[in-house]
Amino acid sequence: MIKTDVIIIGGGATGCGIARDLALRGIPHCLIEKGDYAAGATGACHGLLHSGGRYAVSDPIAAKECYDENMILRRIGEKCVEPTGGLFVRLPGDSKIFRERFLRSCDDIGIPTEVLSSTRALELVPNLNPDIEEAIKVPDCSIDPFRLCMLNMRTSELKGGLSFMRHKVTEIVQSHGRCIGVKATDAATGEVKEIHGNIIVNASGAWTNLIARLAGCDVPITLSKGSLVITNHRLTDMVINRLRPSSDGDIIVPNEAVCLAGTTSLVVEDPDKIAIQPAEVDTIIGEAGRMIPHFNDTRIIRAFSGVRPLLKSQKLDSREISRGFQIIDHQNGMYSIVGGKLTTFRLMAEKMVDTIMNAFNLKRACETAERPLDGQEELSGYPLSKRLADMKNIVCECELVTRKDVERTIEQTGTRHIGDIQHRTRLGMGPCQGGFCTFRALGIMHDMNILTAEQSVQSLREFLQRRFRGIRYALWGDQLREEQLVEYIYLGILGMEKNK
Amino acid sequence: MSVIEYDVIIIGAGVAGLTAGAWLCGQGLKVALVTTGEPTACLSTGCVDLCSQDDDPLKGIANLPDAHPFHLVSPETIHQALDDFQQAMTDMDMPYTGRLEKNRRVLSAIGTFKTTCLTPLTMQASPQNENERIHIITFAGLKDFYPGYIISRLKSASFSTYNAGVSTTMGIAANFEDDDFLETFLLWLEKQDIREDKIAVPAVLGLESAAAIIKKIEYRLERPVFEIPTIPPSMPGRRLFNGLKDHFRRKGGMIYWGWPVVGVEKAGKQIEAVMAESQGRPNSLNARAFILATGSFVGGGLHAKRDTIIEEVFHLPVFVPGEREVWFDQDYFSAKHGIGQAGIVVDSSFRPRDCPWDNIFVCGAILAHTEALKNGCGHGFAIATGQAAAKYCLEHIR
Repeated sequence: MIKTDVIIIGGGATGCGIARDLALRGIPHCLIEKGDYAAGATGACHGLLHSGGRYAVSDPIAAKECYDENMILRRIGEKCVEPTGGLFVRLPGDSKIFRERFLRSCDDIGIPTEVLSSTRALELVPNLNPDIEEAIKVPDCSIDPFRLCMLNMRTSELKGGLSFMRHKVTEIVQSHGRCIGVKATDAATGEVKEIHGNIIVNASGAWTNLIARLAGCDVPITLSKGSLVITNHRLTDMVINRLRPSSDGDIIVPNEAVCLAGTTSLVVEDPDKIAIQPAEVDTIIGEAGRMIPHFNDTRIIRAFSGVRPLLKSQKLDSREISRGFQIIDHQNGMYSIVGGKLTTFRLMAEKMVDTIMNAFNLKRACETAERPLDGQEELSGYPLSKRLADMKNIVCECELVTRKDVERTIEQTGTRHIGDIQHRTRLGMGPCQGGFCTFRALGIMHDMNILTAEQSVQSLREFLQRRFRGIRYALWGDQLREEQLVEYIYLGILGMEKNK
Repeated sequence: MSVIEYDVIIIGAGVAGLTAGAWLCGQGLKVALVTTGEPTACLSTGCVDLCSQDDDPLKGIANLPDAHPFHLVSPETIHQALDDFQQAMTDMDMPYTGRLEKNRRVLSAIGTFKTTCLTPLTMQASPQNENERIHIITFAGLKDFYPGYIISRLKSASFSTYNAGVSTTMGIAANFEDDDFLETFLLWLEKQDIREDKIAVPAVLGLESAAAIIKKIEYRLERPVFEIPTIPPSMPGRRLFNGLKDHFRRKGGMIYWGWPVVGVEKAGKQIEAVMAESQGRPNSLNARAFILATGSFVGGGLHAKRDTIIEEVFHLPVFVPGEREVWFDQDYFSAKHGIGQAGIVVDSSFRPRDCPWDNIFVCGAILAHTEALKNGCGHGFAIATGQAAAKYCLEHIR
């Protein structure tokens, strides 16, 4: 049995942020995640670090939180934040009244804005629809949610925090009506670990109620599915928002070499059943195409969806539900932290840890807003010139990832999972979506004795099935053509069969 | 604008187009082939899959669904076309082995067995079951070949690694054309003290001379040696294409390379010419009949839009397998993807249905209801329909 002070369930931005905060305040803790970091809503979002503009009219409190956190994250996380700036563009027919309310609200909250003529906006983003009436500049940024989680966990690791990835919590251990620990099953070995702690934090996002119910509790949340698409190249260097009340497909975010556009918003019951409808993909492309016409003929490499855990309200449209967050004290040693958004994860963590410190009757102020994220010095980037010099060892041609990158990641993390390598190196994130390089990466893992031959083949099969779930919603044009080639390689040339 | 006259123009330089072209040349016609570039055959294993649904491919063909275009080809034509193919490849020093009556197996790069009908001679010794004892040779740095995958299924297999100085498929293959390189390799191989009955090598044994190279290695090592097809770039696929291309040219055929078709000229019920561009200049290629052999999606014959599927040379009607939602099944490995049905529906003489022109013939992977992957109807299907379409084309001209 493992003993600690605080058990955190969930390795999304909130959970990782709590781990970092606890580490900086000297509290022993253990984080348990059933998949990989950022596997839920954290990784399945735009990767937008909101300026607050999006919520300025509808939810000024959330907007203010976003703005403040945006300023903090730029400062402490420069290696995972790209200060792109953002535009809210007004198309012909979009309400002028909303524009006035938007500017006034931003002003009240303190979000700096600058009104640009369409000519000026087109100078900044040449791909914009030339018919736009005007654009309002705001301090939006793009953020890498995978990197963000890993950098937060780095601090936890440096201070001796524990973490168990791919461990699913199957039981909350209780004694005299109090939660005193959890049992978690290792997905790879089936081994069950029992971990005891004084406080359990349920930061499992869309899975909040599945965890809470293990302790006989219930949390009033609504699950809202949002779908997004990824383009094969970067159509804009700034975040593009539509200047209107929140609606489908009104945000485009540049991220590394690609763009993400979305979202939709549909209430769902089960966070593990979130199929994408072709109509959602068409809607996003149609709406994004109104802001950036080129979107209509750009290759879409993947569509995916995530589930937002929103605080329950009587309002029927899930967009109207507050994006604010709440800490629920279940009065039995367990807390659930729900709602919020990626941009405010640090603030959520701060409030959560304040609550924990109170419960422990300890006093130590939060330092997460002042100290830069640990481990950023290791992320010095990898200049294109160096990558090209290493060209003969390129494993992933789309993202220029070398065999050395793959080997280094395996040596540093000891991972046996292709997903970890993908998140850390961007292997397989490009146009072919791992169609060529995963076969190679798994072959290398076997060469390094990380995986047995059987595990390599099994991982390859699982990867292909998982990959297909993401790409099948966006198959037409050249993307379909490339996919047919990949299918021919695996099912034709390599003769992979279904179950063996 | 240049105007060139032919009896038949074929669009597409894949296995189907080259087969149709060579056959028509053999009948004394003046034939030209226009292509945008290398065909998908270059990406293939080079194996000639006829129908993998039964041990006996001809029986498999007979049992295909009614709509399958293979039913339009008579057994005599299938035999004739495959015989002609084997003869042509033998003439080009790239012989193929196998029989139409029985499918055989080829070991893949992940250790599965792929079902096919005819194989290049370099794969003749490929094991037919998991129990055969093989020793695999791999090459240092070759990034598309990992013996571990094969050993996961062939438990008794072992491997050794040779450093060829280069690490790309094409680079190693080019080196094998050099006698000194081959000799150094052989000396190394002889020192490996290989106990297994057969030696496996990824398909990098030469650009064109693979059959001769394999024979030399077999002679020196005194046991069978075979190639394992790799993922693209694939040498056996490239050899197949080069063989068929040279055979077509030897028969008098003309190839316009890198000439995309950008338009057609028509009069009444006839297509009179296709307009093809070279270096920005339009050329009118006139002919009495046209054969469309542009392949499926990968080959570029079919193009999927968000809501439909189109054919862009003659704008022929395309069979679209329902709404986009059903083009792909949820399960990647199910082989039930509707998209495999897409293509051109033809009548019994390989003319497109519901088409206003009567001098167009269609063959190969662009044909509707082929489901090439599911049915294992690959190059063998292209060869058979290529010759069948060519025969109807000749009938039309005479």
